[in-house]
Amino acid sequence: MAEIRLAKLAHSYGNGTNALKPLDMTWRDGGTYALLGPSGCGKSTMLNIISGLLKPSEGRVLFDGQDVTDKDTGARNIAQVFQVPVIYRSMTVGENLAFPLVCRRVPTPRIKARVEAIAERLGLSRHLNSRAVALTADQKQLISLGRGLVREDVSAVLLDEPLTVIDPQMKFELRKILKDINREFRLTMVLVTHDQNEALTFADTVVVMNHGEVIQAGTPQELFERPATTHVGTFIGSPAMNFLPAVREGDRVLVPGAGLSRTAPADLPTTDLTLAFRPEHAVAGGPLAGTVTRIWFEGADQVLALSVGDASLRIRAVAGAETVGAIVRFDVPQDCLRLYHQGRLVA
Amino acid sequence: MKTLYLALKYLAIALWSAFVVFPFLWALTTSFKSANGVTGGATWIPWVQYEPSLQGWQSLFGGVGGINVVKPFYNSLVVTLSASVISITLGTLAAYALSRFTFRFLWMRNSDITFFFISQRIMPPIVLAIPFFLMLRSLGLLDSLPGLILVYVALLMPIAVWVMVDFFNGVPRGLDEMAWMDGCNPIITFWRVILPNALPGLVVAGMFCIIFGWNDFFFAFTLTFTETQLLPVAIVSLNSSVTPWWSLSAAALVSIAPLVVLAFVVERFLSKGGLAGAVR
Amino acid sequence: MLKITDLELLVGSVAHLAAINASFQPGTLTTILGRTGAGKTTLMRAIAGLIAPDRGQILLDGTGWTRLPPWKRPVAMVTQQFINYPHLNVRDNVAFPLVRAGVAKADAAARAEAALARVGLAAMVDRRPSALSGGQQQRVAIARALVKKAPVLLLDEPFVNLDYNLREAFRKDLVDLLAVETGTVVLYASTDPREALQMGDQIVLLADGRIVQSGSPRDVFANPASLTAASVVNDPPINPIPFHQNGVADFGALGQQAITLPSGAYTLGLRASDIRAGGPHQARVTLTEVTGSETLTHLSLNGLDLVMQEKSVVLRSPGDVVGVHLDLHKGLVFGADGQRAGV
Repeated sequence: MAEIRLAKLAHSYGNGTNALKPLDMTWRDGGTYALLGPSGCGKSTMLNIISGLLKPSEGRVLFDGQDVTDKDTGARNIAQVFQVPVIYRSMTVGENLAFPLVCRRVPTPRIKARVEAIAERLGLSRHLNSRAVALTADQKQLISLGRGLVREDVSAVLLDEPLTVIDPQMKFELRKILKDINREFRLTMVLVTHDQNEALTFADTVVVMNHGEVIQAGTPQELFERPATTHVGTFIGSPAMNFLPAVREGDRVLVPGAGLSRTAPADLPTTDLTLAFRPEHAVAGGPLAGTVTRIWFEGADQVLALSVGDASLRIRAVAGAETVGAIVRFDVPQDCLRLYHQGRLVA
Repeated sequence: MKTLYLALKYLAIALWSAFVVFPFLWALTTSFKSANGVTGGATWIPWVQYEPSLQGWQSLFGGVGGINVVKPFYNSLVVTLSASVISITLGTLAAYALSRFTFRFLWMRNSDITFFFISQRIMPPIVLAIPFFLMLRSLGLLDSLPGLILVYVALLMPIAVWVMVDFFNGVPRGLDEMAWMDGCNPIITFWRVILPNALPGLVVAGMFCIIFGWNDFFFAFTLTFTETQLLPVAIVSLNSSVTPWWSLSAAALVSIAPLVVLAFVVERFLSKGGLAGAVR
Repeated sequence: MLKITDLELLVGSVAHLAAINASFQPGTLTTILGRTGAGKTTLMRAIAGLIAPDRGQILLDGTGWTRLPPWKRPVAMVTQQFINYPHLNVRDNVAFPLVRAGVAKADAAARAEAALARVGLAAMVDRRPSALSGGQQQRVAIARALVKKAPVLLLDEPFVNLDYNLREAFRKDLVDLLAVETGTVVLYASTDPREALQMGDQIVLLADGRIVQSGSPRDVFANPASLTAASVVNDPPINPIPFHQNGVADFGALGQQAITLPSGAYTLGLRASDIRAGGPHQARVTLTEVTGSETLTHLSLNGLDLVMQEKSVVLRSPGDVVGVHLDLHKGLVFGADGQRAGV
């Protein structure tokens, strides 16, 4: 159980590329965090620095205020779960779970009690005497997790895309167990993933990364409603946020020909402006009108691609009888309309 | 610190290289020595201080105390290559069948049959020598090239099957099915899709066969008399009451030369990426 | 037209496919929707000739396919795994089926390059598949399937192994690519109802090796014939709420609803989108899931496990209590036999 602080952290590999641009961040004790981004965005570098596999070229890593930058992985009391389950093939499930304690010469009765408690929590009690290789992928992943949890001094759990090899139907169960464990053990958990759904589902705070840089760190709700950049708005949410080139006219910013507008902040530049809104935030009926160019029927509702003036955008609407070519009236509430300058959120 | 580490590393590599290369160096120098050079003893460095002589190399083409190695070399080449080509061809086909289709023979399934092939190599060779001798005699093939080729095929094919089954199992079955849907019947599928992707296996199996065939002494010795001597047998026959070290050394170098060439060729193939990325 | 009659396929004594009767028109995309293990892949493999059915017929325009080996069936398939020929570069991969069919080499290469340009890989033609990303590898496989112009195109969850963000873009591209293939019967297997509804001109619901319903996506979604069909076609699965009919529908603590039905025990299938936050029923949150732009909140209410779907990202922690409203009048009624009742 620990608060993790990354102080002026930065990393570059030998060839001079910046794998991680300077950042300052504090992760609270017992919180759940997700590092989200495409491969090569620096999220794995960050995870490796926290776990101690990689020594940062600049900055410090602090656990509960203690500098651990120079400590090895073993001395950091970290539990790690990787993409592919790591189990000792020759051992039973129980022996697998007990192994970290056996190595630390914990007395046998205490190992037994601890292993049973953890197995119970992970739903592995029935399998304690089965050979670990015989289990399914998701159960193996639970063993990997359990081996980290048996130690009572674990300060954080690092999860490196742990659900990649799991059957979709089992992902739900595994997520639930992870959440429960986070609540019960008050463990700080950090998940690395490229899947927006996984990140938003798992974490209280999602850290969106790209090109070695933290672009936005916020709650899933913040990322959805106020994406810091157009990149985040496109990456988070499906369908993506609508971004429409806009111009400033007096005290208003508007999308030419589309009828979308909002008030402009006083010091707003006049070029490189974008108005944006979520397809979900459009409401039926209103002053705006568009021609349907495409319909994605999704069951209870549908996504309509509209051409409004010169702009094309998408809105989500209740499934109805609209056909391609029909005129649809809609509106976007003012408080849902975001303004970007040079791709960054202004208001 | 880093320099010291590097220095130690190179020193270790140099020592090991010297250790490995030294026997060859010794054989090379000995092949250019005369009786005096071998036994006389040099003052300081035996592999530098001696009077060079071509006696050893000349003896490989007949003459007193020598033997003509041209014919045995040719025999070995014919036997090894023929046996290897036949073994690889038959072995590859058998291996593909074992990898892709289900067989049952008595209680045996595919894996049992594959093991049955290799199990023949578990027996000590001496056990096979007498049956082979009797069989070749009744076929009238003792002391003949076809007879030796037949025996070597029996010995080499299990290796080919064993290696190739493993490689074929590594080529995903989805690839066969994709080829079928692309209009290939099973034979074209094997030839155009599966074999190219098992090429590394073919190289490995070929290496095994050639090395084993070329180096075998035991069967070459027991199944031939004088007509069709193979190279290893010929070299050993050089040894008489007085060991002609110079001739032996020259002959040994001749016998390892083809394998050295083979090693270089395969190494080039490897470094050119001939094996890289064949199978996902 | 691809016609399948009475198809049955047993593995041991278990029927992986049973009583499959369907016909598929050229120029339409039919999505085959079912859970993992429902028989989607088996059906496609039977059509391709990779496994032999125990009974039944497969006919293309009246020609019997049942006895043809796969290499004689004019069919193209893209599978979940990215299968390409590792020893051939991308161009030769796509040209391969053409060359096998006897097209001249130069012509085949030109057509392959055109097909690759259509899937956006014009710049990669000289690379080996292993040097491509997963998404690009699957594009190569799609190009190879399209270039053959086979009258039957089978797509077996082609995008399931791709990243979430890629998947959406791929679906849209695929629909555009197929729009011009007017003579092709296209079958697309999927486990994702949303994908199936979005893409399909027709939809076939498969469960336990049987077709449970087929029709247009809007029809099937609005009027599922059984509880099984309803749970297959809804994502998240439909919420089954048992009730007792005795003059009115009695939902116990959830109240009553005026429905005209014979007396007895029934199940109401309530879509997750018909449960809203802000209502009188106090439910405990067990987990929240965010998918796309929606939040699925798993609730426990009077011993019932329900899923609520909201069109935004809403943070709720397990253990929170939420007041919810259930639009019971929008539910679908199913009898004790699981069939739709009271329509």
